[in-house]
Amino acid sequence: MSEVLKTPAQVAAPKIDANWRSLRLYLPFLIPTIAALALTLLRIQMGGANFINDGALMMLALAGYLIGAAFLLTNLYAPSGMAQKIGLWAAGAGYFFNLASWCIRWVAAHDRELEILQRNGYGPEQMPWVWRYIPFANLYDLSLAFACGAGLTTMLISGRRSFRFIGALSLPLASLILILARFIGDEFINLPPVLDSYWRPIHVGTASIAYGVALVCFAAAVLYLLKVGTKPESMAIWASVFAILTFITVGGQFGAFRLVLTGNYAASTVLEGSRMSIPLRVQLPWVGPALIVATLVLLAVSILFGVYLKKQSEKARAWGHRLLVASLVVQVAAIVLLVTHIKSGEAFGPCPASGSFFSKCYSTTQYQEFGAWLAGQQGMQPEQVKTLAPAQLRGATEEFVQLSGSRLRLSLNANPVELAALITAFAATLFASLFSFRTEKLRAALPSAEKLDGLMYRTASVSFAGLAILLITGAIWANESWGRYWGWDSKETGAFVAWLTYGGFLHARIARGVTGKKSAYFAVVAFLLVIFTYLGVSYLLPGLHSYA
Amino acid sequence: MSSAVEETKTDIRVTPAAPAAKVANARSPVTRLLNLLSSVRFGITLLMLLVVFSMIGMLVMQTNVEGFDKYFADLTPATRLLFGTLGFFDIYHAWYFNVLLLVLSLNIVLASIDRFPGAWAYIRKPKVEAGPVWLKTQQVHEVVGVRGASREDVARRVAAACESVGLKRPRVTEKGTRTVVFAQRGTWNRLGAYAVHVGLLTIFLGGFMTNMFQRNGQMPLAPGETSSEMAETTFNLDDRGLQLGRSSMDLPFEVTCTDIQQKLIRLDGPITADNTIDWLTHIRIKDENGEHTAVVHMNNPHDYRGYRFFQASFINVGRARQIGLRLTPEAGGQPVDVTIPRGGSAKLPDGTQIDFVQFQPDFAMSGAQIGTASGEYNNPAAQLVVRTPDGKQERAFAFAQELPSGAPIGRAVAGYKFRLTSFEKVADAHVLAVQKDPGATVFYVGSTLLCLTLSAVFFFSHQRFWAIVEEREGGTFEVALGGDANRNQLALEDRFKRLKSAITGEPIEVES
Repeated sequence: MSEVLKTPAQVAAPKIDANWRSLRLYLPFLIPTIAALALTLLRIQMGGANFINDGALMMLALAGYLIGAAFLLTNLYAPSGMAQKIGLWAAGAGYFFNLASWCIRWVAAHDRELEILQRNGYGPEQMPWVWRYIPFANLYDLSLAFACGAGLTTMLISGRRSFRFIGALSLPLASLILILARFIGDEFINLPPVLDSYWRPIHVGTASIAYGVALVCFAAAVLYLLKVGTKPESMAIWASVFAILTFITVGGQFGAFRLVLTGNYAASTVLEGSRMSIPLRVQLPWVGPALIVATLVLLAVSILFGVYLKKQSEKARAWGHRLLVASLVVQVAAIVLLVTHIKSGEAFGPCPASGSFFSKCYSTTQYQEFGAWLAGQQGMQPEQVKTLAPAQLRGATEEFVQLSGSRLRLSLNANPVELAALITAFAATLFASLFSFRTEKLRAALPSAEKLDGLMYRTASVSFAGLAILLITGAIWANESWGRYWGWDSKETGAFVAWLTYGGFLHARIARGVTGKKSAYFAVVAFLLVIFTYLGVSYLLPGLHSYA
Repeated sequence: MSSAVEETKTDIRVTPAAPAAKVANARSPVTRLLNLLSSVRFGITLLMLLVVFSMIGMLVMQTNVEGFDKYFADLTPATRLLFGTLGFFDIYHAWYFNVLLLVLSLNIVLASIDRFPGAWAYIRKPKVEAGPVWLKTQQVHEVVGVRGASREDVARRVAAACESVGLKRPRVTEKGTRTVVFAQRGTWNRLGAYAVHVGLLTIFLGGFMTNMFQRNGQMPLAPGETSSEMAETTFNLDDRGLQLGRSSMDLPFEVTCTDIQQKLIRLDGPITADNTIDWLTHIRIKDENGEHTAVVHMNNPHDYRGYRFFQASFINVGRARQIGLRLTPEAGGQPVDVTIPRGGSAKLPDGTQIDFVQFQPDFAMSGAQIGTASGEYNNPAAQLVVRTPDGKQERAFAFAQELPSGAPIGRAVAGYKFRLTSFEKVADAHVLAVQKDPGATVFYVGSTLLCLTLSAVFFFSHQRFWAIVEEREGGTFEVALGGDANRNQLALEDRFKRLKSAITGEPIEVES
């Protein structure tokens, strides 16, 4: 019990103290941010020749996030102040490197074009303004910024003890985005003139922050579901279904389910010196069989966990978990094989007529479809292509192979969405497996369901406001560049759909009092739509945003 | 003793239950319809329907998207029939999509009206009384003990503490053995949602006006050309596939292109978009008000009389904005260098005039016909007309490449041999998009309102605090504190800690 009331004059003293204490809550965010800006200034002073480049900084950021995630996850299972401290420092370092990488890329893009322009005789007065080079030009830049947004949000809320756990889930997701960025490739592009607008930093900057906050909202929703008793086995079923759908749809440009039909995985190619993906796919030995095994194992996992959930069979549960771990091993093997084959640089050619199942080659069965694709690329109308005989189409491909076959290369950049899907499937099953390990202890280590629910609501609110501003700034920019503020372009529609879903989440909560699990499912679906907009739309759907 | 209302777990005004009168009249079809239209549950259903239709539009290629003809040709006849009948190929203009938007707008209006009295009550009739049991059910609550001369004295100092932490106009209510101090801030936040919805409806209105009254067209312009109409493209899907139609619309003024320019990154590179910094079209607009000039370039449209001009595309055939020529006298002597702009002329000291007629990037000749084999700068040549002082005029060509000796096309004209020494690359013509959209301003107003109100709603909150002061033994007083907020729990907790500290004088507990 305290002794006396303070007079209003005396009350002012703790306010100043409170301001400083409140500021301390944001130090985990402020210190790395200031340090990253200082490093950028140093880069501007020293020039790029003897300075660490953005690609290396990105790898350091990835390392920071991964170490942070590992320690924070460990802290969830075996609470330890030291593990949490190391985790937070590593996360802070990851965010610092991430932001520094993005800022230094800005400087490097400026230096690069300046050099080209000077070589072409442009004077200083003709140099474009500095915002032209802000790294929001392609999906690599956006991925860097997206991960940075996730890191920023994590660091912002890490000042509060009760929310420090969030890094255990948001940092692995941020790492996934950086891995994807690595696959996309960090080449600089000449900026399409339409993007050279001051609206770009406003619009894309908003996107990065809104997407980053949405990622944290998703993490809170998943942990909420776990906290309120959703069984990791049912999460594992969903993760398995996602992984199975991924595995049976990858690896075939011409017709789905190629993996299932042929047993082989084939990767897209690129022509040497070009970034364009060529749908003449090269089969990679053992990758297909590994993915098929993973599919079958995950199918068995789903059935066993289904039996466990239905009949409470402990035996089915135990076997399900064993097989889930086995599927992880097989998935790792498949991804390692895939990356090794692509990176090996080993030559390849058309598959021989027989005995080619375990060879690295491109199957001649795709020649007819590829010939039709080639004809389309050469400006032929679909009706005209349909009039061509199969022999003509195959002949066109044979001619292409003769002329350009030696220039065909495998590249991780050729199909980043497929690689991202494979890695995401792995991450989903990994988390399902992790959640199954000492689940009760994990549940006890998490903050209360109310706190998680509150965090979910707050982050969903910020995502909703952020996505609204994203849509509006995009609309204004579109009106300045394309002469219409809304055209139902697939990226516009994707962002609109995600925004509507968050809108549904908030209305259900504010006006109808819907909280808890239903609310969490809304948040999960909304984030999946954000991811689809961010990645799927750019690669899978036609539209005006194909560059990002 | 506190009232029954005070003791309920939730504040009665936030309970979203339907009023009793509504239930009683539920049998009337009109009332039922109104109840449905004003229900948030129905609104959420409409939102989800909008999500589904929008996703269909994303996944089924729309008629105005490039590549639709190929997509359409690849579909099976049954799919074409199904999607076509359901209007999926142009779903955003389908009648049911527009009806959905209309019903959603109606739902927003009716649901807002329905709920407004509840929100208004927070402003008009703040809940100034509270009981200890009810206080314990609030988002934050704690009981602290303090010393003071009297209950009034403690209440006065609690009120002062409330003001010191930024709470507005504390109200003190005496009730039996208790004194209740109530203070709040951000009351306006309760109305924020209505302002958000007004912003959204304004955007919808802008969209509706755009759909109804917008005109879009294109105007291809090469230097020297004048136009007073814009060409509009229409998309019609029939059994034969996608049919593109064209119509034109007269403008109330005349646009003349005086110059076009393309700023390249690499001057030796192509005039493609990935090697371009900017396209600039210099225009002169003439009408009954007079003449004025403007430059339309990327991301910098020009507005005039409700019409906007944008850079839309360009005709990708290489031309020259200006050329540099070297004229070598056939009879010997010093060569003369001249620079001529596109469509312009140069006069030599001897009175000979050279007109720059056309530029061919990949010079080709078919009979007497001069043309280009491609749009790329493979064999650049300038087509000239040479006028001698005695009135003769003759055609001449200046090539960038060395011609074989004796080639007829490279012969001397008017006593000079011509060589193309330099040229500034530019496209054949620029295509300006022309837009007249009375809905755009309304859309901008709605957007600004939405951004401001969303930020205000989500980043601020309505915080309410109650303090019940009761006397205990030995001249001590118990202050039961409680507070709630419509959002932003963290800010509420922070202010609650500051309030508690201001009342007790104890340092603030901060998480670290």
